[in-house]
Amino acid sequence: MLIPNHPDPERLSALASGETDATADVSLSEHLSSCDSCTDLLDELGAIRMSLAELPDIAPHRPLRLLPEAPADPAAVDRLGGWARRVFAPVLTAGAALAMVGLIGTASPALDDLAAGGQDASTLETDDRLAAPDASGALAPAGEGEGFTADQGETAVPLQSDTDGETTALGGDDGGTDQQREALRETPADRSPWPMVLFGGVALMVAAALMRWILVPRAA
Amino acid sequence: MADSQQPSSGTRTQPLPDEAAVIARAGAGDRTAFTQLMEHYQSACYGLAWRLLGDRDQAADATQDAFIHAYRAMASYRGGIFRSWLLRITANASYDILRRQQRRPTSPLPDPEEGAPELPDRFAVNPLAEATRSEMYKHLEVALAKLPEDQRTAIVLCDVYGMDYNEVAAMTQSALGTVKSRIHRGRLRLRELLTEHRELFIR
Repeated sequence: MLIPNHPDPERLSALASGETDATADVSLSEHLSSCDSCTDLLDELGAIRMSLAELPDIAPHRPLRLLPEAPADPAAVDRLGGWARRVFAPVLTAGAALAMVGLIGTASPALDDLAAGGQDASTLETDDRLAAPDASGALAPAGEGEGFTADQGETAVPLQSDTDGETTALGGDDGGTDQQREALRETPADRSPWPMVLFGGVALMVAAALMRWILVPRAA
Repeated sequence: MADSQQPSSGTRTQPLPDEAAVIARAGAGDRTAFTQLMEHYQSACYGLAWRLLGDRDQAADATQDAFIHAYRAMASYRGGIFRSWLLRITANASYDILRRQQRRPTSPLPDPEEGAPELPDRFAVNPLAEATRSEMYKHLEVALAKLPEDQRTAIVLCDVYGMDYNEVAAMTQSALGTVKSRIHRGRLRLRELLTEHRELFIR
């Protein structure tokens, strides 16, 4: 609604703000000196500007937190939680793998024992057979199966007295072999690292779960 | 845009009597002194945030954000009018929220007339004059809320809170000429909106 020869109303607003290019504009001031409508508009714009500058402050509708919380650093908690979240899966996997290896390692000696149950007898027989020629043909060491003696029949009997000493010695050797066998049988179970590996794996899994539970923030 | 709000006190917060000492203590890390300052100026900051955002919860959030920024920047405060310094921080915090929301430039603020009417200041010397003034403020808030966002932001920062054009241009990332134009067009639009209540403004 610009009337010809009237200045742009935005120029009057600039004059109301005291902008130098408007205040220095002679044509503007000359027009205002002879135009009541533009003078009224300038006055109104000035009044609005002054009223805006007086608008009062507004009280918050609820209590505001005036100070950042000092003790807990939220960024640090987030960092710790993020770290715990990231390492949880790898640590849990490592623990599970370790536990599995430990379990297999612990179980295998028992399986060996089962498998070695029949193998022991044949091994001993072989040993004894190898030992017998050295013992002047004594084929039946003390404590060994009667079947063998019966099978050998007559040949075994005449040799009996000659090989008494040797038999005793062989019997003594047999006793030593039993002890070694016992020792061998016990060693894997007692000194094996596998139970410790199993325990370590389980402990790692529990630690990972605990760490996640403690460090990762949960939804309220 | 959500709810309505009415001005509370009819005044603007004046500096604390011992403000320089309180600022010095706050700058040295005294949390009690900082709390005292924020408590004193919270209405000023909240008013600015509400006029820019038009939502009281967002205004509260922006004010609290501003207090956190102010707490971190307190040690680097180098004098000047503390209220202006704090208001600049609040304006930036509010404008950050505006930017995040990517609001439409024409979104109007809610109508403050829907809220409870403002009561005259009971300590006023002339209750009638204060009632008139309160009425004027209310109409002005209503008209301001109806402005397009870009004009409203420029008017609020420049005319209501006294920031200069360059500051407003930097804050809103706009050219100086654009800011001036928004202010002038905004004032002319306000005049149109306040035509019915012209007698309240011409003194």
